[in-house]
Amino acid sequence: MIDFVQNTIDGVMIGSSYALLALGFTLIFGVMRRLNLSYGPSIMIGAYLGTLVYVQLSAGPLVVVAVTVIGAVLAGVYVERLCFAPMAAGAGIASMVSSFAIWMQLEQAAILVLPQHTYPFPPLATVAPLELGPFLLRVDHLIMLAAALALSAAVYLLLYRSRFGLALRAIIENPTAAHLVGINVKAAVMLAFALASAVGGIAGYLVLAADQQVTPMFGMWATFKGLIAMMIGGLGSIPGAIVGGLVLGVVEAHSQWHFGPQVRDLVAYLLLFACLVLRPGGLLGRAPPMREPAFGRRGA
Amino acid sequence: MDDYLVGVLSNIGIISFVALSAYLLLLTGEISFGQQAFFAIGAYAAGIATALWGWPLSAALGWGAATAGAAAILVGIPTLRLHGLYFAIATLAFAEMVRLLFELFRYQLTIDGELVGPNGSDGFRGIRYIFENDVSSLQFLVLIYLLLIIALVAFMLLERSRLGVTFRMIGEDATLAELNGVAVARIKVLAAGLAGALAGIGGGLYAHLTTYVEPRIFDVMLGVHSLAYGLIGGLGTALGPLLGVVIDIGLLESVRVFAGYRMIIFGGLVAVLLIVRPRGLLDERAVHYLSRVWRR
Amino acid sequence: MLRLLFAGLIAAVCLAEAAAAQSMRAKADVECKPAGELLHYDCVIKLMNARTSEPLAGVTLMVGADMPSMPMMHNVRPVKAAPGADSGIYQARLVLEMHGDWAVQLNLSGPVRDRVVANIRFDPDRATPVVPSRARPGHKH
Repeated sequence: MIDFVQNTIDGVMIGSSYALLALGFTLIFGVMRRLNLSYGPSIMIGAYLGTLVYVQLSAGPLVVVAVTVIGAVLAGVYVERLCFAPMAAGAGIASMVSSFAIWMQLEQAAILVLPQHTYPFPPLATVAPLELGPFLLRVDHLIMLAAALALSAAVYLLLYRSRFGLALRAIIENPTAAHLVGINVKAAVMLAFALASAVGGIAGYLVLAADQQVTPMFGMWATFKGLIAMMIGGLGSIPGAIVGGLVLGVVEAHSQWHFGPQVRDLVAYLLLFACLVLRPGGLLGRAPPMREPAFGRRGA
Repeated sequence: MDDYLVGVLSNIGIISFVALSAYLLLLTGEISFGQQAFFAIGAYAAGIATALWGWPLSAALGWGAATAGAAAILVGIPTLRLHGLYFAIATLAFAEMVRLLFELFRYQLTIDGELVGPNGSDGFRGIRYIFENDVSSLQFLVLIYLLLIIALVAFMLLERSRLGVTFRMIGEDATLAELNGVAVARIKVLAAGLAGALAGIGGGLYAHLTTYVEPRIFDVMLGVHSLAYGLIGGLGTALGPLLGVVIDIGLLESVRVFAGYRMIIFGGLVAVLLIVRPRGLLDERAVHYLSRVWRR
Repeated sequence: MLRLLFAGLIAAVCLAEAAAAQSMRAKADVECKPAGELLHYDCVIKLMNARTSEPLAGVTLMVGADMPSMPMMHNVRPVKAAPGADSGIYQARLVLEMHGDWAVQLNLSGPVRDRVVANIRFDPDRATPVVPSRARPGHKH
């Protein structure tokens, strides 16, 4: 019983970082109806810049956060310009494939600049874990959870209480109508991308600081976790991203405890596969249209 | 023939199988990030057949292709309802599941006093068929290309056949195809099975070429690359993916200047081509034009 | 045309199955060190009979490498290893394309034909053997 609760607690903590990653993913999907598979790697670029200032300039944690976020945003905008902006309205698949190809590019660029297998990251908290009865709560995980909640609330407020948020919601609802009403769709989309990358940058920082290191595998890892969490919770849905992230975290924590890390990952993918086959819209999202237009059609 | 050249050509030949596998699915209009799963299944199945059960190579390769094809059909059926990005992500999830399953898969027999067989993450060593049967690397290269040529001839025949046209019809617009009486579901599953079997043959060849496979080999990189080869080389003909493979491995690899920047160039190439020429270099228009020039 | 092709295939496969059984297996210890230039490594290889552990001398050894996470996509030029001081010891300089985990392929020809694969992680400052099950890339938690 104790194990069960402890695992659930751990799962919720990790799940909050997954939720943040999913949040960024879902913002892009909601606004553009496209999947950005370079999301993780662009966060990793930011993280690598962060570790660079940490190691070379002995920067403090706040500076590292700022650099990570800025780096992630720059990489995100690069991806947006190359993979998403030039594609015609229907070519969502092409954007997705293109972003996957750019993942390779970003990963190699990062490895070229920083070829070691692992680089240090400033820790979130160096105090001993709190004890709440028989349960252990790592302080850095608590910070992660708190930051995730705060960030989600901030994004929610931005979307529902600001003009920019209003514009984004209009675009999500109906891009053509939004354009007709005078909203600069292209600029808003790019800003949404930047926002998603910033959220991702913070999420990345939290995860890496809790782990105190960054490796080149982080890009793919972040993409997959965010993707799975988003798909479970429902594409294009912000509460879905949160729910999906937490569900994934808890399921993973229990699987790992009982069966080890490979089964943990196996279960995560199984969950994704099952969600796609049984309920493609996810728990809270909407079901996809039956036929999406094929990409790169002849003459199109 | 010097060892290096034989090595590069063998790699080009084997990767072409996975590239053709992804290409076949692209013809029916679906993007798959997961053909590496069938490559893996083919590799392990064929390796087990020769190293653990003592089968001859041809039977082992057939067995690899059959298991991979069967797995592809098994996965093709539940994903029939999915399209576009949902299908792509589903294939990705499936491929990762297969890879993780191989990380857990242990099947070892004692042969000649030693434990041989897949051992989870530590991989499957000792697929020593070509050493135990004195196959030179040149002979194996010939085998790879013989099988590849057969596959290419099959593709050429397919393009001219009713089935090939049906594939492209489904790729163009599945609803319209259905309205025209095409049994879309069945044909798609058939395509999935064939694609899986193709990748499985490649896998079997790979396992015997390198004598050692481990689950790490079959990760997303391989899948994205095999997809990209078709997208770069062109979707108008089966030679398109081969062109993509040659461009990547042949040029980018062998020209030392590009050495550290290969993926940067490759990734950029895919992104740019998807903008300016989404059906690849040898797209349908180019193939049509070239065939008209050829006939003159 | 097709018939010819099939006949050719069967011929090739039969060639491939021509029996010449070899039951000699080799095993190897590989130690690599960075060699001055970036991505150059000097490797010392000890070849032994897998069963009796006696050193294998006079073997022609070509050393190549492939990356497990990106199979077939790197083509490291195989180098011929030079015999070292003791019997069964060989030396080779490997020039790689990236840092990371590589599967170093030791191709034996000469009197004995075999292939041994060694998993080694090449970092800028050192090269360490890895056991794949303990070196899982991917998910960190």
